[in-house]
Amino acid sequence: MCRYVRAFEHAPVFGVSLDKVRFVVFDTETTGFDPVHDSVISIGAVALRGGSIDVHDSFEVLVCRETAGDRDAVTVHGLLRRDLVAGISEDEAASRFVEYAGNSVLVAQHADFDIAMMNRVLKRHYGLQLFNDVLDTASLAKRLEKGPYYNLAHKSGEYRLDSLLERYDIRLFDRHTAAGDAFLTAQLFQRLLQSAGESGIRTLGDLLLK
Amino acid sequence: MPSNTIVERVAADLVRYPPFEQLDQELLQDLASSVSVTYHQEGETIFRKGDQLRECAFMVMKGAVRLFENIDEREVLVDLCDEGDIFGVRAIFARQDYVLTAQVAEETLLYEIPVDKITMLLQQSPGAALFFAREFARSVEEIEHSLTEAMEGAGRDLHGLSCHSFLENETLEVRQVSNVATCSPDISIQDAAGIMAERNIGSIIVVSGEGHPLGIITDTDLRKKVVAVPGSVKEQPVSEIMSSPVYTITGGRTIADMVMLMVKTKLRHFCVTEDGSVDSPVTGIISEHDIITSEGNNPAVIMKAVMQADHRDELREQRDKAESLLRLYISQDVAVHFISSIITEINDALITRAIEFAFADLDERHDGQRPETPFCWLSLGSEGRREQLLRTDQDNAILYEDPPPDREDAVHAYYLELGSIVTGILQHCGFVRCPADMMASNPQWCRPVSVWKGYFRKWVSAPEPKAVMNSTIFFDFRPVYGASWLASELKQDIFAAIDRSRGFLQFFAKNALQNPPPLGFFRNFLVEKSRDHANEFDIKARAMMPLSDAARVLAYELNVVEYLSTVERFKKLSLLIPGMKDLCHEAAFAYEFLMKLRAVNGLETSSSGRYIKPESLDKLERQMLRNVFSTIEKVQKALNLRFQLDYIRT
Repeated sequence: MCRYVRAFEHAPVFGVSLDKVRFVVFDTETTGFDPVHDSVISIGAVALRGGSIDVHDSFEVLVCRETAGDRDAVTVHGLLRRDLVAGISEDEAASRFVEYAGNSVLVAQHADFDIAMMNRVLKRHYGLQLFNDVLDTASLAKRLEKGPYYNLAHKSGEYRLDSLLERYDIRLFDRHTAAGDAFLTAQLFQRLLQSAGESGIRTLGDLLLK
Repeated sequence: MPSNTIVERVAADLVRYPPFEQLDQELLQDLASSVSVTYHQEGETIFRKGDQLRECAFMVMKGAVRLFENIDEREVLVDLCDEGDIFGVRAIFARQDYVLTAQVAEETLLYEIPVDKITMLLQQSPGAALFFAREFARSVEEIEHSLTEAMEGAGRDLHGLSCHSFLENETLEVRQVSNVATCSPDISIQDAAGIMAERNIGSIIVVSGEGHPLGIITDTDLRKKVVAVPGSVKEQPVSEIMSSPVYTITGGRTIADMVMLMVKTKLRHFCVTEDGSVDSPVTGIISEHDIITSEGNNPAVIMKAVMQADHRDELREQRDKAESLLRLYISQDVAVHFISSIITEINDALITRAIEFAFADLDERHDGQRPETPFCWLSLGSEGRREQLLRTDQDNAILYEDPPPDREDAVHAYYLELGSIVTGILQHCGFVRCPADMMASNPQWCRPVSVWKGYFRKWVSAPEPKAVMNSTIFFDFRPVYGASWLASELKQDIFAAIDRSRGFLQFFAKNALQNPPPLGFFRNFLVEKSRDHANEFDIKARAMMPLSDAARVLAYELNVVEYLSTVERFKKLSLLIPGMKDLCHEAAFAYEFLMKLRAVNGLETSSSGRYIKPESLDKLERQMLRNVFSTIEKVQKALNLRFQLDYIRT
């Protein structure tokens, strides 16, 4: 945890070329969609650097919980009770994740939710929250396809992960496991980065609008 | 530790394509965890000719990549890779730079596999090692020799395997095993295995109280479902692991039926019941082993039946049996040279018997008078080369000793009559008449030896491209019946004629270069050097003829007197031309592969097998074909150089 905090001692360099940046594309599976009452069941992530998804640099943990959650979530995520019991504790999971992520840019589909979930866990056990720069693939896709001022409210369906994967011709598999979704999101992000390059986005600052 | 879910996902992608499909789980997972995934858009360059080698090889997961070379500022396409193709393997074996440029032809997803992982794999999986070596051998000469040897080794194993089929007996029905081992569904797996071990049998049928079949347990089930599973599975009832339902048939099936059924269902055990349904009592079982070792499938039996046949209908029946034998051998992966020699023996016996029938007919018509001048029956073309697997057009001729001048017409008329009767019988047996009428029933091709010598001398001394092309099948003549010394005399005369006019060999060689091989396949298309894609593949004209033509030219150049097949010619040539030793071995292997592919295709499509739909080929066959194409190209280059054909204009 200390190592994680220390990794942010230096201010981020937004002028750096996108090729040099390590992105950690991640996804969390939760018991529900309320960051206050629901909790994290599993975290999956894979790193992308220089346009290349590195399978070796990937991450997956299952969180063990005393109560095995409500039935709905169990079916949605395809996790059996014994898988949950076989997992590690919530604080250990959070600590391993931030260790893995370091000061990389975090990328997720509808990132606000996953970040909120992670922050809640970190706050409860360690009294801190994520310092990383964050990028949302849905917003990035929207920005690249329609420009920055497009109103997403009416047609949010177009930017669901399933719709995006279909639109970018990415073969579906393992939906609803955190690691499976992270791998798919990484492939989506890989294509978005390519398209960003064509739109003249060269540096991390360009990408994060900073 | 990398994510299991992601690693498994990548492994599931890799395992779909050779050589990874044969890897065991542990190696596969290790390999998958080392993969990097990259995405490229059309027009992007992966590497350029002259670039330093990367630390990885590439597998196309989606999209397509072109590999080309720049020669004199012109792009020469070398390969097009699509899903499942691997490129950049040079990085595994070589230490220099890339020799080709790889450019993305359409939006592509690549799996980059680190070289050190592949190197490790090469040591642990011989199958994968052979695969990568083959891929690499396509561009590099050095290791081809060892490669050809490795492949020949594999061929020898197949040959050994085929000897099981030689058993002596005479029935043609598959004999079912009638004292079938059965058990009830509730006995334990352990007990069932005990029965099988005790009776030394490979399967046991699970039956209901009335004796109706419910399922079957085989060696394979025990191996895969029991031994591989931890825990006390052995105590569970057999119904847990049995394969169900069982494929049931009625008794009294012929071998041909059973072979077809086996090929169609891909099953290895068939349960015989009283009325052929699962709702009647079990009376027997027929296994793959029973079918293969069935007496009627013995070529010796077919030969004997042919030689003792009393009527042309019997000949036809036996020839049909030979085809079911062929089907069986092909499905069992028996070596092609072995199959073709058996089929040739049977065909020759059939021709011999047909000639005997014809003589009997003629004796009746001519009061037993036969000409005193001896004759020889010649098979031409592929049959002359002992390469016929499926029945194709008949090509044959009659050669007889020069008769005294006053008997010329009578002798010619007699042998022509013979030729007509024999070709008629052959037609009855399923050998279609030659559309160009190159048959012994044609007055032009039923001639005394002096006339035949005249034909060949003319072809040799004044060759014109069209005449050379039409006469190639005659150069593959082989004596099948009668005075074979006439054929030898003719052959010697041809050699002498060729010696007198060297220009002929150049024409002959030029003819062999008419069809350049394609580059390979791209999805369901053939990739051509000149045009882009073509839809169907003529395996005879585009792959087999270039090789058989080349072998023929060289065999005639070097006065090879024996009547050999293309494969045998190449093997002989490898001894006669030391500089082409490795290439000749490679060509022999390539030709065998093509013969087999053609036979498989012919059996599947009930045709001569000549036209192949690229989509019917699997990844490995495509890879093999691609290698074959590059072999053909090398053979053609060698021929070009040897006869200095670049200097000739036609």
